[in-house]
Amino acid sequence: MLTDRFLRDRRGVSLEAGERARLEAAVSTTSTVEARRIIARAGEWLDQSTLLVEGIMSRYLDDRNGLRQLVAIHLPGDFVDLHAYPLKRLDHDVGTMTPATIAIVPHAELDAITEEMPELTRKLWFATLLDAAIHRAWLFRLGRLDAIGRVAHFFCETNVRLQSAGLSDGRRFNLGLTQADVAEICGLTTVHVNRVVRHLREEGLCIFRNGKVEILDAAKLARRGQFDPAYLYIDDPASPTPPDQRPRR
Amino acid sequence: MTHELSSPPPPETEAGVATAEDGVVLLDGPDGVAVTMTAAAARSTGESLVEAARRAEEQLAGKRPSGTG
Repeated sequence: MLTDRFLRDRRGVSLEAGERARLEAAVSTTSTVEARRIIARAGEWLDQSTLLVEGIMSRYLDDRNGLRQLVAIHLPGDFVDLHAYPLKRLDHDVGTMTPATIAIVPHAELDAITEEMPELTRKLWFATLLDAAIHRAWLFRLGRLDAIGRVAHFFCETNVRLQSAGLSDGRRFNLGLTQADVAEICGLTTVHVNRVVRHLREEGLCIFRNGKVEILDAAKLARRGQFDPAYLYIDDPASPTPPDQRPRR
Repeated sequence: MTHELSSPPPPETEAGVATAEDGVVLLDGPDGVAVTMTAAAARSTGESLVEAARRAEEQLAGKRPSGTG
């Protein structure tokens, strides 16, 4: 199913069968998109949103010299531009980093869901707030961490997000990005990232090679990147869902 | 219940570390600084830092009460 990874393993918001069926029915088309293609441009009128099924996408802004600043990375299962539903115009571009499969959900369908299914609407809202939490971590990463910390934090975060989507075993995942991509994400040059990657390998923390990441010492890598996954709201079977996050009927 | 917010960060007392890699200069730290510069830009930045440090020390010396230091 197209929506299998959407909100998978997120605390208190896993989709119920009826909700998933409704969201699947809301998809008007699916398509495959090549890497490095713009899906939505800043300022253009949008009447549909994009669910990322496979691949990696990004949000970014260009400076006045045309240099790109990535501001978010999206992974399979993310409802990439759900923000566009209430906003209608985005303040940034959205594009593919790798070849991607996307599912299009017209805003008219989201209108209907909002009217008919308040609990599913709350879960869509949760997804957008999750994006906001990841944005805050992005700011922290770029503002407070050194080069090694930034890359360590990004690998830790991506590991948890992909594990939630069923695409990492918690130690190994296929990132599909280059060192240049990681440099852009972490606000570093490729030379700097190259050295950081070497350092992480030599310190026995992780290996990043040919787009694949292998985490050798998860605890040390998390410590180096000051990474605490709480902001990703991953479902923890050991801790009960708080009462205010239980589905309402 | 409220808690006091932490203050803005004080000036760094740890120095950044500059290294050469693949024909460019990498500056790591202090704090979240992570910059790559050409050799010329690094040299100019270094000279500017040394000059600014000299002036900052003069400013501090000018603030000390007379008879100290």
